[in-house]
This record gives sequence, structure tokens and C-alpha cells, in this order.
Amino acid sequence: MKVTVCIGSSCHLKGSRQVVEGLQKLIADNGLKEKVELGGTFCIGNCRDGVCVTVNDSVFSVSPDTVEDFFKTEVLAKV
Amino acid sequence: MNNLCADIGWKSLNHVGEQLCGDHINIIDAGDESTVVVLADGLGSGVKASILSTLTSKIIATMTSEGIALEECVRTIAATLPICKERNVAYSTFTIIRIIRNEEAEIICYDNPDVIMYREGKYEDIPFREMNIDGKIIHKSRIKLRENDVFIAMSDGCIHAGVGMSLNFGWDRAQIAEYMEPLAEVGFTAKTLSTMLTDKCLELYGGAPGDDTTACTVRIRRRQPMNLMIGPPSDRNDCDKMVSLFLSKEGKRIVCGGTTSTIVSKYLGKPILPELTYFDSDIPPTATIEGIDLVTEGVITFSRVLEYAKDYLENNEEYKKWSYKQDGASLICRMLFEEATDINFCVGRAINPAHQNPNLPITFNIKMQLVNELSECLKKMGKKIKVSYF
Repeated sequence: MKVTVCIGSSCHLKGSRQVVEGLQKLIADNGLKEKVELGGTFCIGNCRDGVCVTVNDSVFSVSPDTVEDFFKTEVLAKV
Repeated sequence: MNNLCADIGWKSLNHVGEQLCGDHINIIDAGDESTVVVLADGLGSGVKASILSTLTSKIIATMTSEGIALEECVRTIAATLPICKERNVAYSTFTIIRIIRNEEAEIICYDNPDVIMYREGKYEDIPFREMNIDGKIIHKSRIKLRENDVFIAMSDGCIHAGVGMSLNFGWDRAQIAEYMEPLAEVGFTAKTLSTMLTDKCLELYGGAPGDDTTACTVRIRRRQPMNLMIGPPSDRNDCDKMVSLFLSKEGKRIVCGGTTSTIVSKYLGKPILPELTYFDSDIPPTATIEGIDLVTEGVITFSRVLEYAKDYLENNEEYKKWSYKQDGASLICRMLFEEATDINFCVGRAINPAHQNPNLPITFNIKMQLVNELSECLKKMGKKIKVSYF
């Protein structure tokens, strides 16, 4: 599974770093390093809904507060 | 003219409790492709010293750049300077470094510590001859310049640092030469080298300089072009034109901005590979595109670069961060402030749809203003700047 976090200007201001760090920690804690590939991308043109996180081909809007819920429903449940 | 240029930078510390510095630096571009740098140290400290040194450096710089003989300059100064009532002398010591067509340096020193020189990273004695002008003993030398020559001129505040405090008799010129030797060849800018010396002096003075302290560094270096592209062009059809011009220039290449990187990546047919490491929590990670030396996010990174540039021209304290850190802003700073001498900016004037969210503190105007302010700062650092808009 490939999870990509937008690190463009807008998403950065909305908390990309916290989302990236949150996901890095959750992936490590759940022992998913082999199964989930976490990557970054520059602006994907969807700034209004940042922080944009793409799982396979679907785009989700995640914030530092919702990163754990997002991980549970979209990553942990589907991996 | 050869392919060399001079990077000149200085830093002064004021005598403790004084608002004015009694040392004064004057740098003048003379008409005959030469540059004159004068470091003058006025007698005493405070207002009086400041007036003496300002007059001295201004008179010498103006007269030498007009090609008037040194003897004349020295006599003019002696005749012009106001006489100090307490001491009954008019007095300001000075050092002149005149860089002629980046081929030769003429160094003249009156009662300041002799200029320190490094060649190929090693200390070298500058041979000088003594001249006596109206009872004033002046050291004069002329040297053929080579790439990577570094000259450090200083006021006596440098060698008096620490007298009776951390050191019994201060440190002498030889010790300063030894202290600066390993730093001189690393590639730090002239301003940073000067700052490193005065920082050390401040430390030896225990934070309270007993004398005005100034260091002025001249680095002879090869011209180094650099290209920076930021922002997509206002007309979408100009993308290829803009990128091909950007890529056609000599020198390293920096691309700033997400959309801008995408345009470059499409043109080159090479993917953008973003990093995910945050070396600085406030600066978005960088990326790589094969063929481009540095790819960063745009406005946020650029704002930080501007902050560092402003600080560099003022107190130069932030170099302790940008001179080693790996975040995008620090990397840009090292490439622009340290490496580059000639910078081409390719600036796209498109209004980025990604920034049209009213909740975000990014506007089109901010971006244009950042570019303008940064190029002004870089000019003040002595760099040649060319900005092309698309």
C-alpha cells in the first residue's frame, strides 16, 4: 500500500509535518513498515482540502487531529 | 579583466557602553575597475572617535579612488581632522586595501595591525616596505592576486581582546592568524569570517569590549553563476520557453515551488522525488529532480531565506544555523550567499490557483515582494543580480 502526503506550501501550513510524523509513528508502532510505503509529494492542486493524503489512488483530507482515525479506517483496516 | 572577483565583508563591535563605533569601514567602487576598502580607527571611542574615523575613511576612499597619491591623502587627513582637546592630537589609524582589476592588491597600513593574508589556505607574510610621510610610518605592499587569497584587516581592538581579563596580554596578530587559518579555506563568506573573528574577540572580552573592534575580510574568488527559478509563467504557453531559458544558462540550478518543480519535471521528463525528512520543523522538505541541483517548496522556504539574508546584512547571527543545516532554506542560503557571485532569477508571474484560499497567508503580492526584497539584499552582499519575468 502506498500512502502519499502532500508537503506543498498550503498543506505544510495546515500541518503536513505533524501528519507525516503521526503516520511515521503509527506505521512503526503497528509494525507495518514492510507493508506501507509512506512518501511525500509536492502540491497536488487540492489545497482547499489539505492536508491531502493519497492512499493508492483516493485522496483524503487529513488534519493533525484526525491522523489517528484516518490511519485506523483507511490504512490499518485495509492493509 | 580575469574571472575573479572580490567578496568583501566586515563586522564591528562597539566599545562597551557606546552607541557609536569608533572604527569605520568605507568601500568604494572606483572608476578604473578597482575597489578601495578603508578601515579607519579613530582615537578613543564614542562620538569623537566615530567622527575621526568616518572622516578619515571617507577622505581616503574618495581620494584614492580618484587616483590621488597616498602622500597627498595622508597630508589632507592631517590637515583636516579636528584636534582632540584632551590629547592635543588629531589621530586616526587606517588600513587601505585596493583591489585593482581583481589582478593586484595594494595594501597600505598606518598603525593598524598589519593585514593577515592566506594563500591556498595557508598563512603567508606580506612583504612590505616602510614609507615615512611627514613623520608617519606607513607600511605599503603590492601583491599579484590569486584565486582563494584571503585578506583580513583589523583594528587594534582585535588584538587587545582579553587584555587583563581572559588573557594577560591579549592575543597577538600571530595568534589571530593561527585561529583564522583553518576557517579561511572552508568557503565561509567574507562577512562570516569577519563575524567569526569579532565573535571570538567578544568572547575574550567577556562580552564587554574594552575597545572598538573591527574585522574586515576580502576574499578573492572565481565568479560563480547560479540560477533560481520560482513561480509558473503568467501565460501557460510560456512554460517550455521559461524552462529552456533557465536550463540554458551556465551554473547550478535551484527550483523553488511545487507547481514550478512540476513544470521543470515535465520538461525534463524526470520525476520529482520528494524527501520526507524535516530538518527544520517550519520548512517543508526538499525534493530531487535529476539535472537540478536543488528543489524546494516555494513561498515558505523563500520567506526564511529572506529572513536569513536580512540578518546576514545586519548582525549576522543566523549564519550559525544556515551554514550547516540541511533544510531547504539553509541549502538555498549557502548556494546564494556563499557559492554564487552572479545570480539569474527566472520569476514566473502566474497567480497560483493553489494559493487562492483566503485562509492562507500567501498571496501573489507576497511572492513578488519576496523576490524583490531578496534581490536587493543579494545586491547589498555584492552580487550581480539579473531578474527575468515570465
